[in-house]
Amino acid sequence: MTFTISRRTFLAAAALAPVTTRLAMAADGPLRIGYSMCLTGLFAQAAPSQVNAYELWKDQVNAAGGLDIGGGQRRPVEFVSYDDQSNPANAVRIYEKLITQDKVDLLAAPWSTPIHLAIAPVLAKHKFPMVGNTAASVKLREVKPGYIWFPTAVIPDKVGEELAAFMAKQNVKTAAVFANVLPLAQEIKTTLLPALEKNGIKLVANEDFPPDIKDMTTLISGANQSSPDAFIVLSYPSDTFLFATQAKQLNVKAPFVLSLIGPTIQAYQQAFGTGANNIVTVGHWSPNQSKWPKAKPFFDAYLAKYKEAPDALDSVLSFMSLEILQQAVATAGLDKEKLRETIASATFDTINGPVKFDGVQNTTTPTSFLQIQDGSLELVWPEQIKTKDFRPKTGW
Amino acid sequence: MTGKPFQIAAFLAVAGLLALVPLLGSEYWLGVAFIVAMWIALIQSWSLLSATTGYISLGHAVFYGIGAYVLVVSLDWMPVPYALALSGAAAGLLALVVGLPVLRVKGPYFVILTFGFAELVKNLVMLLETRLGQFSRMIFDAPSLEALYYAMLALAVIATALAAWTAQSRFGRGLAAIRENEVAAEAIGVPVTRLKLFAFVASAIIPGIVGGLLVLRTSYFAADQAFDPVVSFTIVTTAIVGGLGRVSGPLLGTLFLVILSELLWARFPQAYMMILGALLIVFILFVPQGLAGLVSKGLKR
Repeated sequence: MTFTISRRTFLAAAALAPVTTRLAMAADGPLRIGYSMCLTGLFAQAAPSQVNAYELWKDQVNAAGGLDIGGGQRRPVEFVSYDDQSNPANAVRIYEKLITQDKVDLLAAPWSTPIHLAIAPVLAKHKFPMVGNTAASVKLREVKPGYIWFPTAVIPDKVGEELAAFMAKQNVKTAAVFANVLPLAQEIKTTLLPALEKNGIKLVANEDFPPDIKDMTTLISGANQSSPDAFIVLSYPSDTFLFATQAKQLNVKAPFVLSLIGPTIQAYQQAFGTGANNIVTVGHWSPNQSKWPKAKPFFDAYLAKYKEAPDALDSVLSFMSLEILQQAVATAGLDKEKLRETIASATFDTINGPVKFDGVQNTTTPTSFLQIQDGSLELVWPEQIKTKDFRPKTGW
Repeated sequence: MTGKPFQIAAFLAVAGLLALVPLLGSEYWLGVAFIVAMWIALIQSWSLLSATTGYISLGHAVFYGIGAYVLVVSLDWMPVPYALALSGAAAGLLALVVGLPVLRVKGPYFVILTFGFAELVKNLVMLLETRLGQFSRMIFDAPSLEALYYAMLALAVIATALAAWTAQSRFGRGLAAIRENEVAAEAIGVPVTRLKLFAFVASAIIPGIVGGLLVLRTSYFAADQAFDPVVSFTIVTTAIVGGLGRVSGPLLGTLFLVILSELLWARFPQAYMMILGALLIVFILFVPQGLAGLVSKGLKR
């Protein structure tokens, strides 16, 4: 029976062989872009918002005759992707495979902060530039600048300060703050609390809750007793849905209600209808910003292809990251060092307006807030890019 | 007993082959070998308690997570080898402290308790990190993959040797007696409590170090990821597919599932999960002895 195993191993090797030779011959075929994705595991629900944006970008590029790789040459694009099972260790392995085995021409980003941070050393080691997208943490700044960039404007400490300024401007005097214990929410809270104090906003409740919380009624009704002007719920998608359900039941009357992650997902508006109206959330993009001529066409194309609106955070960031790559390749070609220099120094024209990196961060796109207004996502802060005025929440 | 020299030779051959992987010069295959060694180390350690005594732990991620946490915290004060040793020690200590109360319950209650305990520790670490104002941690200048790989391979070898020694030692026979009938074992003078506790602690130390090594590899720590319950599930699944109660079980199970996932993950991740589920059912129903049982049956024939 030991024979069975050696035969199995042999079969495995035999199955792999044609794959590797086929890939090796593809040098002059389509341009190959590799990425790893959380198709299964902890983050699996989030994957479509990113993969859909990638696929849309690919369709558009190929419809235009391929990716401009400089010197007037165009090559069609295809993706090489693997499931990392939402596990950073797998993602590290996948990017090593993409770079050293599959020898892809370019890389696109994986899902989530932990996985971005885990693969940063791999990129640096192989000197392979990659534009990140769905990562948001103050830790990003600790990454050594070089081969990875983060286009997000949701940098938690800035979000905290901007949010307090925004609330003060709307005459918020008292606030209840509930925060999930996961990193993004806590990082925001760390700067939000002192900023609220500085702006003279009084805290009537300040509680943390676990990621798998099933009931928020005690938190909400506790805060309701002092009827604060604002409910700031630093939540992740599942608790965002939970909060909306229970805030409605308990008739939260605060005119300023923020949920951190979730309201930009179309399912949220579908689930709560008018209850979702005038909810504030974090995000730096709206299809209605006319200063960004590419914003609306992206929205329309996404809607046409997938029959749902793009997620204003993740789909947009994912698309932006490839736009940046696309424009950098058109200037620099496929040489990794030239590409790195270009991404690090040029200004890019994206669906979210101009983007320029300083170190690993996008310093151009302002930290902003969105509000759901009659089924549409509008930028309501800061002044220079807002598409609509803030509206107080009047009911659920 | 004729199979024994052959068995040892086979184990040595596998270890030797794995030790040669870095010479391939392929970072990808080194990464695969790292994962293989990791699962072997984890599952052999788990088997030390669960396969021998029948106390099925569904919370081994807790030792792995605590190892990762201790490493990432202690790295500020000490070099990597000491931090890794501390990871193992912390996991062992945790097992010692919780072992006595936890090991008093049996069967499904033990399974649920270990799972719940792992989730409890995860939430406690998250809370602690929040209080410390540290929501995730990064590691800079981790050792090379090659160094990490040799350390992981050493753990796999030690865990396998430990399992092999246990299988034919007085200690192992005591554990088997516990599995067959704990009350009877106690009645004839087997020091039941001491043996169980010893097995529990022994099965925790190596996963602690494994957790430390893995966080060095990914260079990022967040509590919800480090204590991922999927790790616990995978340990049990792989052990069942490989075959409980045989030293070769974890080896075969790991090699089989890692190769399977390497073949399928490329295009069919969902199919992989379905196949995994189907395999588990098939093995439990029709091949309770696992791959190791199939192999030894084949050898006898």
